[in-house]
Amino acid sequence: MRKTGFKTFRRGGIHPLYNKELCSGKAIARAPIPSRLMVPLRQHIGAPNEPLVSPGDRVAVGQKIGDADAFVSAPVHSPVAGIVDAIEDIKSFNGETVTGVIIAADAEQPPFEARQGKPLDELTAEDIREIAGEAGLVGMGGAAFPTRVKLSPPEDKPIESVIINGCECEPFLTCDHRLMVERPDDLVQALELMIRAVGADRGIIGVEANKMDAVEKLRAAVSDRPNLDVEVLEVKYPEGAEKQLISAVTGREVPPGNLPSEVGCLVQNVGTAIALYEAASAGKPLYERVLTVTGPGVKEPGNLIVKVGTPISILIEACGGLTGDPAKVIIGGPMTGWAQEDLDAPVVKGTSGVVALTPELIDIREEHACVRCTKCVEACPMSVMPNFIVEAVQNGDWEKAELWGALDCFECGCCTFTCPAYIPHVEYVRKAKAEIATLKG
Amino acid sequence: MANNKLMTTVAPHLHEKGQTIERAMRDVLLALTPAVVIAIVVYGMNVVYIIAVSMITAGLSEVVMRRLLRRKVTLGDLSAMVTGLIFAFLLPPTTPLWVVAIGAFLAVGVAKELFGGLGKNVFNPALLARVALMISPLALYTTKFVEPFYWRSVGFFTPVATSIDNSVVGRVVYKGLAGNNVDAVTSATPLSLLKSGRLLVDTVAGATPVGATWVTDAGRPSFWSTFLGFKSGCIGEVCILALLIGAAYLLYRRTIDWRIPAGIIGAFLAVMLVTWNHPIYQLFGGGLFLGAFFMATDWVTSPMTRRGKWIYAVGIGVSIALIRLLGPLPEGVAIAILQWNVLTLLIDRYIAEPKFGEVKKPWFNRLPVFQKRKSAEGET
Ligand code: SF4
Ligand code: SF4
Repeated sequence: MRKTGFKTFRRGGIHPLYNKELCSGKAIARAPIPSRLMVPLRQHIGAPNEPLVSPGDRVAVGQKIGDADAFVSAPVHSPVAGIVDAIEDIKSFNGETVTGVIIAADAEQPPFEARQGKPLDELTAEDIREIAGEAGLVGMGGAAFPTRVKLSPPEDKPIESVIINGCECEPFLTCDHRLMVERPDDLVQALELMIRAVGADRGIIGVEANKMDAVEKLRAAVSDRPNLDVEVLEVKYPEGAEKQLISAVTGREVPPGNLPSEVGCLVQNVGTAIALYEAASAGKPLYERVLTVTGPGVKEPGNLIVKVGTPISILIEACGGLTGDPAKVIIGGPMTGWAQEDLDAPVVKGTSGVVALTPELIDIREEHACVRCTKCVEACPMSVMPNFIVEAVQNGDWEKAELWGALDCFECGCCTFTCPAYIPHVEYVRKAKAEIATLKG
Repeated sequence: MANNKLMTTVAPHLHEKGQTIERAMRDVLLALTPAVVIAIVVYGMNVVYIIAVSMITAGLSEVVMRRLLRRKVTLGDLSAMVTGLIFAFLLPPTTPLWVVAIGAFLAVGVAKELFGGLGKNVFNPALLARVALMISPLALYTTKFVEPFYWRSVGFFTPVATSIDNSVVGRVVYKGLAGNNVDAVTSATPLSLLKSGRLLVDTVAGATPVGATWVTDAGRPSFWSTFLGFKSGCIGEVCILALLIGAAYLLYRRTIDWRIPAGIIGAFLAVMLVTWNHPIYQLFGGGLFLGAFFMATDWVTSPMTRRGKWIYAVGIGVSIALIRLLGPLPEGVAIAILQWNVLTLLIDRYIAEPKFGEVKKPWFNRLPVFQKRKSAEGET
């Protein structure tokens, strides 16, 4: 492995071309508000929400429009002032069909009215969880796990360190980078809130070494807080994956099948932290987020504040449109994101970017038999056996697939990235996971 | 907007630049080039004829076999070329071309394609073919070595082939293309000198073996002649320096895994030192480096896990040492690697790779028995 002197996780990882320069220097700008928004009622992992509005209802900015009683869930709020047009099935970014609230936005949009709550210093742990829950916060790095649940770790597993994931290791994406550069103080305040919520001792912001401007700003922001620290990490994918980040920062490894609380850690995404700050300081629910619209297929890449429910076609238009004919438009990052058939899918809370790739960047070939080069094993950050999982899936041997680590794989894509036989491991792993889940009932 | 043309494959959407099978094979061909050049210098153009026949036969065998087996012809991945070249490397520089062709067909047509094609073959194809020749009636053609620079007496471009003549001592003569006898002399390899006891420190005695002009006055090969290539041997093992240059390139490109040559050479050296054998001739005199860097590292026939690779490499190193010290043959690299090619199946199945975060790092994968019991419990 290349040595850089910075901390990193122990094994595996890859060095793709990052292409961050396309928009790492571009300040966050506001995206246009579409006339029609499609807000999925379920944008998180957990119980689905029931709609709280019906067609014809008038909604205000930040009004709750979907909620569930279950603990593992997150309510959804209206991103705009407007009228509910319909509640119907829409196609989500990952191809699933979800129920969505279609809202016709008013031409004039009033600004969000900040609600003054308790001062930040006086919020108790319970208050902070409540705020996160009410604001519908979820992990904004893509997994979309409800933040309230994450901030309620099991009693017997005390959290020592809260880690903010400022790695943004996915190629092309720069929205977290911009948030760290532009709002370091808000981020630090949010980190303090999370530390209080889980009763941790210290907070660490882990940033990859390719964002030194953010590191400087953050170091200045934490300089008078002895319990907070900024850790510069090696530039390597997937440095920002939860378990890898913990390993890089603390040297501890979360055992297979366990949560980070097992090793006393809690990881939060930069976007989520900022959203928590906004919710705590101004009562603002999570109905808009910063994301990156980029790639060589976009004329003017940029970082935008976008209302949830905005179709990505609007964003691409706002960035000058597509150049020529791009081969792929991806929601999320190019390593783990979802290639889109069309540009209709709406932005959700977990959408970190829209990346348009041109044909030169696409390298797909016919799958060859595995030549056992071990590159996937070397690249796998979880040290599972990607090629044996594939072989087991091809033979329909689900026990073997599990033995070789199908359930430990978090689909980072390192194996496929480096495979000279062009085997799509992630596709096979997903199949294995689904089969094993049904077998286990 | 050209929406209808958007592709929708599963993530990841990027692929490492130039990380293809062809590139790896091209790397190997390139890495073997210095050794080819030196071999031509030492043994003349005969080397080129042999390599050409071997590679062309390998390519043709692949095309024909894949057609017959109704597989897609994949000549473009260059793997047949690599097998052809490596097979040629294992032959004496005067192997008759028809023997070369038979061997190259055995390598690619049988050892690779009949086993299922690139990726499915259990044995290193070139090695399996080489050993097959060695135990066949054709053995005599592939076990006699001419002395270095023999071409000075017969001409640089003259094709020379080993031929059998029962009326002479050793049964071997060398013939030109027209069937005329040519003036080349059989010579011992450093390892066969060792095997015959001629190089043991105390027993260097008697006349210099026939034709061993590269041996020093003391009756031993000089260090430099074994290292740089002025010695008798197979085409590919002649110049250790050239092999090391190529190996460095492959390591730099990460086409081969450093653990395998390190383990083989380390273990081999350890055994040699412990048993008080002269390590220099053992290291440089034969095919150890060719085997350690270019054959044991074959992707398809070496283990997948880091631990497995160490076991495999150390195993090969020890096996070579034991075969050389205790067996009847002066060499041992080919047999040792083939033996561990088979054991790779077991290593891959049973030696566990510790997963990320595993607290107890088990050495063995759960055996199928436990697997069954576990799932049976799950059902009740
Ligand atoms: S996708 Fe899974 S198997 Fe492949 S490298 Fe990532 S964790 Fe390992
Ligand atoms: S990287 Fe691809 S070819 Fe190499 S061992 Fe893994 S699956 Fe096989």
